[in-house]
Amino acid sequence: MMSKYDLPKNFDYKDVNLLKQFITETGKIIPARVTGISASNQRKITRYIKIARYLALIPYTDMHK
Amino acid sequence: MKKYEAVIILNPNLSSKVGEFTKKFEKTLSESSFSVKKCEDIGRRQLSYSINNHNKGHYLIFNIEGDPTKLIDVENKIKYDESIIRHLFMSVKEHSEGDSQLFLDSKNNKHEIEDDNETTSKSKDSQTKQDDEEKSNKDSQKSEDNESSNEDQKKDPSIDNIDDKEKDDE
Repeated sequence: MMSKYDLPKNFDYKDVNLLKQFITETGKIIPARVTGISASNQRKITRYIKIARYLALIPYTDMHK
Repeated sequence: MKKYEAVIILNPNLSSKVGEFTKKFEKTLSESSFSVKKCEDIGRRQLSYSINNHNKGHYLIFNIEGDPTKLIDVENKIKYDESIIRHLFMSVKEHSEGDSQLFLDSKNNKHEIEDDNETTSKSKDSQTKQDDEEKSNKDSQKSEDNESSNEDQKKDPSIDNIDDKEKDDE
């Protein structure tokens, strides 16, 4: 499957604009079968999204008060 | 010796006292055998959700190195510091070299604000470019709106189209 994402070699939880591509409008993490990126990259993305959420860089949901 | 990355979100009302806090925090770290390799002051940033009724936070990122067993001491010390609204210590294999993306983004934002204030020809050029981009964006939005309104008018055929698309996908 062709990937429409251009992942840099090294990225982390601070690349907010990159991570935002991998969450839905409601803040959910988009599954790997939709993103089509490699399994290892998907795991990284997931881990970094969760860190970024804790640090309030990206939302958990769109239902925040 | 282990390498850590510490992210501290400060109370935005204490933004002006960042220098004092950084000194205090570095002292706390050095008392617990930690050495600060780098300190990035990201500045005030909009929080994605409110923490303790704060909508903004002052982000600080420290690259530190030290004894893992002493990390608990540091955490215990800053736990009850009310100027910190959130903190996170992460162990890393290697400290990232150069400035982080967050830092660069905050810098760019600052520059944009400065550009707005200045009246040099350069900033004007960039502004006009931005305006053009905004205009083009608006135009594209308008065209999309038109399309959507057309679709609304012809509801039945659009539904048919969607059905066709789904069939194609299958």
